[in-house]
Amino acid sequence: MQTAEPTTNLMMEGFNLMLMGMGFVFAFLTLLVIATTLMSKIILRFSKPEPQVVPNNKGAARLVKGQNSDIIAAISAAIHLHRQRK
Amino acid sequence: MDKILLLWEGSGLYNLSLPQFVMIAICLLLLYLAIVKKFEPLLLLPIGFGGLLANIPEAGLALSAFEQSLAAFDPAVMQSYADKLGVVLDGGSKAANQDILLPAIKSLSDITVMQELKGMAAAAGYTDGMLNTFYQITIASGAAPLIIFMGVGAMTDFGPLLANPRTLFLGAAAQFGIFATVLGAVGLSSLGIVDFNINQAAAIGIIGGADGPTAIYVASMLAPELLGAIAVAAYSYMALVPLIQPPIMRALTTKAERAIVMSQLRPVTKREKIIFPIAVLVLVALFLPSAAPLLGMFCLGNLMRESGVVDRLSDTAQNALINITTIFLGLAVGSKLVAHLFLTVETLGILALGIIAFGIGTAAGVLMAKLMNKMSKMPINPLIGSAGVSAVPMAARVSNKVGLEANSQNFLLMHAMGPNVAGVIGSAVAAGVMIMYLK
Repeated sequence: MQTAEPTTNLMMEGFNLMLMGMGFVFAFLTLLVIATTLMSKIILRFSKPEPQVVPNNKGAARLVKGQNSDIIAAISAAIHLHRQRK
Repeated sequence: MDKILLLWEGSGLYNLSLPQFVMIAICLLLLYLAIVKKFEPLLLLPIGFGGLLANIPEAGLALSAFEQSLAAFDPAVMQSYADKLGVVLDGGSKAANQDILLPAIKSLSDITVMQELKGMAAAAGYTDGMLNTFYQITIASGAAPLIIFMGVGAMTDFGPLLANPRTLFLGAAAQFGIFATVLGAVGLSSLGIVDFNINQAAAIGIIGGADGPTAIYVASMLAPELLGAIAVAAYSYMALVPLIQPPIMRALTTKAERAIVMSQLRPVTKREKIIFPIAVLVLVALFLPSAAPLLGMFCLGNLMRESGVVDRLSDTAQNALINITTIFLGLAVGSKLVAHLFLTVETLGILALGIIAFGIGTAAGVLMAKLMNKMSKMPINPLIGSAGVSAVPMAARVSNKVGLEANSQNFLLMHAMGPNVAGVIGSAVAAGVMIMYLK
């Protein structure tokens, strides 16, 4: 029974660490949730919804165009090589 | 004949002790798990091999110069140590002298005398073993886990988290596993089964964060003597996430809950992604400076990725640099797999507590997700809660897989990535709290 006191102290310390730890983790992440939500709202307000929707179509079209021009470039390079070899 | 005898006495076989033999067998098991079972091979392979190297008899690869000199026990050098310490080596044999000198060194608390002894070892021509040097450079300095954390940051996409910031709560809930395990560890000590102090208990608990670099970082700060066992437990359990989590997830949810379909995530703008790591860092600086090393490097890596202007740095951080660091980190962890540190009851305790930490973390995440599902209008599938124990991206894949079992059209992967990366932040915050509280 001599060890009773230090061990209860150890348990208390573990318990304190748990309370403080979980409390802090939750508090910190709650703050982060608030900060992130605020940040997103501000950014979305200032960048306006317009470039949100339109670029989707434009971007897709541009991508297809870009792919096409890549393909065209590759084909013409191949033809060029082919002719040179002749 | 004498020469042959000398050669035999210098051989590994002659000097192999039983504990070393057991450790070599354990390291071969780690290599087997890495190579055949594909358990986190990137780390377990160098760790297992480092352990093999550390246990080669007489080579002393894991020992510092001072420890080498004690292992060699050269009479002249030992006499000089004894003079310094003021003890008399009057034992007739080597063993008797060891019995006098080693306890005297062990009970030495004066740091300056210790430094002088170390200087004498260096002067006598002893040098640090290779693995010891790796350990000093990568882990004792804290550098390697932080560099790896930067790489992880450069690999992390915060998009799903930004689209649904509330999933951060799931990452917080899953950290309950860490602190419950701390309580378990001090409970075991007060029952007298093992002997952990509060620092060691905290370092064991962090296994529940399911984050290798964080676990190594905290262990190196709070309980370096347990580092080998903690790192091995953390990485092997991370590999076992697909086996540990599903039964817990199924037990805590109904089939209807598992089949909940979540609404699609909104697209996240680039600007949000750039500002997010900076916002995290500002919050860390304001409220929890002790987590600044871990989260600072993490945010740096993420900013390099999202800013899009330093693709070369981002590429290096997530590929070449993280790979180089992993090799030396693995070997350095392996250097702690030596018999007198690893073959103890404590190691068994750590392995048992580690798996409990994982289980509790998973359960807490799932329960939190259930609660959030009840409270909010937006449906939340409880399965994504289990992804709150970091283990990126394995835990998110597990959520996805269990979700598909209940509803084959329900893809939860992107939804689970939110809590998953939140778990990384959560365990780094938990680590910061522990370091602040205990150091």
